[in-house]
Amino acid sequence: MGERPADEKRSRPASADELSRVAPLRARRDLTAAGAAVSIALVRGSADTGLSAASDGEIARGIASAPPGAAQAEESELYRRFAGRVRMYGRKHLRDDAAADDLAQQVLLVTLEKLRAGEVRNPDEIGSFILGTSRMLAGSTARKARRRESLTAQFHAPALYAEPDVATDDIAAVERCLHALAERDRRVLVLTFYAEKTSPEIAAELGVTGTVVRVARHRALERLRDCVGVPGPRKP
Amino acid sequence: MTDMRCPAPIGFADVVDYWAGELTRSEEDRVEEHVFRCAACARELAAAEALARGVAAVVREGRLHTVVTDAILNRLAADGVRVRMYTLEGESVVPCAVWAGDDLVVTRIRADFAGVDAVSIVTRQASGDEIGRISDVAVRPGQREILGAFSAAHLRALPATRVHVSVTALAGSGGSGERTLAEFTLEHGGAFDRPSGVQ
Repeated sequence: MGERPADEKRSRPASADELSRVAPLRARRDLTAAGAAVSIALVRGSADTGLSAASDGEIARGIASAPPGAAQAEESELYRRFAGRVRMYGRKHLRDDAAADDLAQQVLLVTLEKLRAGEVRNPDEIGSFILGTSRMLAGSTARKARRRESLTAQFHAPALYAEPDVATDDIAAVERCLHALAERDRRVLVLTFYAEKTSPEIAAELGVTGTVVRVARHRALERLRDCVGVPGPRKP
Repeated sequence: MTDMRCPAPIGFADVVDYWAGELTRSEEDRVEEHVFRCAACARELAAAEALARGVAAVVREGRLHTVVTDAILNRLAADGVRVRMYTLEGESVVPCAVWAGDDLVVTRIRADFAGVDAVSIVTRQASGDEIGRISDVAVRPGQREILGAFSAAHLRALPATRVHVSVTALAGSGGSGERTLAEFTLEHGGAFDRPSGVQ
């Protein structure tokens, strides 16, 4: 293969090798340095960075153009916006809550590093960069445990703040609403999200088609959502 | 952008399919690429995930009143959920109770379901008060038992009482109106701190 163009090198997400080798060292340097340049040690418990109206690109450019440590509000805002998404990605692909938490932490640390170093070619596409980095890091399960140990040892669980997951803390509400569903819909949800059965497996269990299962699942989860009162735009 | 509105939302159905693992790799990639650019759709995904996790938590805590399967019971066992099982078959009265530490009580209801598409299962105290009702339970051809699950916490609140379980074929099933398929009786001794005989 030919040499990759210089600007492409600069904009691509870092490889897993690069990340596992470089990121912890740089992040450790930043986190432990006087002045705590890695300012994702955010204002604990506060989501208000005063930047909620800014686009992702504006936030990213703000970080890239500022001296180290001078864009704390932007870094906080970037973390607030994306940590939850990376965590979800981690839960989906790593199937482990702790590993997903670690992934979110490391991906955001790496992203801030790259922004500060001018290694994100297009800050307007910072979401794509973060996704690419998430894929790189999550893809290497063999290195995952080593990275987790490294992060735990080096970062001393800095105080990070991200938007909380959509609240379903009220399990009683989920329980009540789950039992308000039709029996078949309830069973589809339980078999899907607890027993982790596929549509064909559930279809065989219920004596229906896979399409019926998928439609029932969509409908049931929407009803559950309405009943529990989970907020957010649902329909265009 | 983090706009509140998305001009081309991916839709809750796709979000649910994504979280349920129903999409192809390329479809998953498409959802992820969108979600990492779109805060509004990220919230949709978060909602689906939170609900899915909520459902799993309800089951994992044994807070369930529904029909279950052996696959679910196996998973519950792996999760350390303590399940007490009673088998209802024939006309004998089944002694039962709830013990401290029980999370879930499951009845294996065995009957002749031939020609039946769906049943309702109603459980009542001797007083006639309903303990629980599971309606429209689909029955597969050849199925010989249905596993009904109750939260042990719910049953723990019951007094000692005779319990009647009625299994009814729904109207239309088997070509006739609603009819009783089977009836069972349990003698519920109440809730106990430890198994009898244990000091």
